[in-house]
Amino acid sequence: MSQTDSGAAADQPGVLIEHLFRRHAGKMVSHLTRLLGPAHLSIAEEAVQDSMLRAISSWPYDGIPRNPEGWLFRVAHNSAIDALRHRRMAGSKSAELTAELRRAASHPVLEQTFRDDELSLIFMCCHPAIPPDSRIALSLKTACGFSVREVARALLAAEDAIAQRIVRAKKQIRDQRLSIEMPSGHDLEERIDSVLAVIYSMFNEGYSAHEGEDLIRLELCREALRLGLLIASSEWGRPKVHALVALMALQTARIRARVDEAGDLVLLDDQDPTQWDHQLIALGFHHFDRAIGGADVSRYHIESAIAVHHAQPATDWRAILELYDQLLELDPGSAVVRLNRAVAVARVDGATAALAAIEPLSRDRSLAGYHLREAVRAHFLMETGEKEEAASAFRAALACRCSMPERRFLERKLQQCLSG
Amino acid sequence: MPHFMCLLYDDQKTFDRMSPEEMQKAMEKYMAWRKEPFTVDGKRLENDLGKVIRPGAAHGAPTATDGPFSESKEILGGYYTIEAADYGDAAKITLTHPHLEYGGTIELRKIAGS
Repeated sequence: MSQTDSGAAADQPGVLIEHLFRRHAGKMVSHLTRLLGPAHLSIAEEAVQDSMLRAISSWPYDGIPRNPEGWLFRVAHNSAIDALRHRRMAGSKSAELTAELRRAASHPVLEQTFRDDELSLIFMCCHPAIPPDSRIALSLKTACGFSVREVARALLAAEDAIAQRIVRAKKQIRDQRLSIEMPSGHDLEERIDSVLAVIYSMFNEGYSAHEGEDLIRLELCREALRLGLLIASSEWGRPKVHALVALMALQTARIRARVDEAGDLVLLDDQDPTQWDHQLIALGFHHFDRAIGGADVSRYHIESAIAVHHAQPATDWRAILELYDQLLELDPGSAVVRLNRAVAVARVDGATAALAAIEPLSRDRSLAGYHLREAVRAHFLMETGEKEEAASAFRAALACRCSMPERRFLERKLQQCLSG
Repeated sequence: MPHFMCLLYDDQKTFDRMSPEEMQKAMEKYMAWRKEPFTVDGKRLENDLGKVIRPGAAHGAPTATDGPFSESKEILGGYYTIEAADYGDAAKITLTHPHLEYGGTIELRKIAGS
């Protein structure tokens, strides 16, 4: 340890930037993976973990160093060098890598380089050779600094299953000798689509909390937004990237307004716009403007346009219905889109029309066990005055998995049906 | 006011499987305790196993061998000196140390003559 940053000692305020460790972990794993090559992703991860273990055994006594990131950076490099020495890799490759690590450790790394490394790693995690269900898990684990347990919690999956997905992904990386270099030409466009799909489902996982009241899921939204912004601000920032960023920013901006102080669900009409995060709304509008520059219309364009309408003081449901029609043209098989569209139908043409619109969904397998299918139907039935049927639909919704605020909301609604 | 020494024994495995976010949370708790006015000083011991010095067997010379000192899985990670009115008060302070939450144990001793 050099004198300059370990001599900070106890007079330091002892405050770390929020999420510093997690952010730094993502950055460092990306950086070391580029230096070592993707086949040594695990060495990179272990070196980063080790640097943090060392921090926790020394900073509580020595104080937080003046430059915590620099400290972690150097310790992680040294740890990677040690790991290479222990593994004695075949041939002289190990010596070359060690020299490379030494060189890198002694030069300050520009923020831009970190950003490029992080982008490269995410693009690699979304390589078509990696099974689609492993891509999110691997991205969260490596580029976002989540532990296996946190990934499992965020994706509502078992820890073992997530660990396996990550192992499988790493095996693919080694076996197929995946490169961390950015693809080019047609491959690049395809890869951007894959990356956006991963970020989009990462966001949706976090946004639609299926059960519990877990904060890690909000972190998932923030992390998806951060990755989106990272790409939007790079040379790969296409209109569709901006559209996805706009969508995520506008939705995240309204998250706080969806739940009241008691932790209960607040319906769209009752949401208080002063509760919105106006910085995120502005960010969303900014990226929406940049999204509509091109000729290409992606689902992210349409969905962000819907989000733009929801972020207005008065909602234009007719316009929203038209947008859902467009979305359905792009994705005719999506039952979730049909269900959401029905909500707009109810606002424009009334509950009877909306019930007709969701009728075919009652047999849709992709919605089996999905509480919102029943809840939305129950809501329409209440509006048309069919209270008994509404009550049984609310009961069906309550039999599905859902978050605690949603559960309390559905129970209240059921009581209303029964008492009225 | 009398001074007391808190000797912190670490359970090395505790942090191994923690995420960066959890480690930062733990770090913040440790730092907050250290900042309290009762803390006079704190020093870390090097994270190696040290040497064990023992008297020789009958007529033999004393020996120095590689650590660890005891068979237990815990090793002494460092110490803090705190100020407290008496043992009761010192124990009350030490019981608030986050180290306990993370599986470590703390030995509390009064410094003579303080």
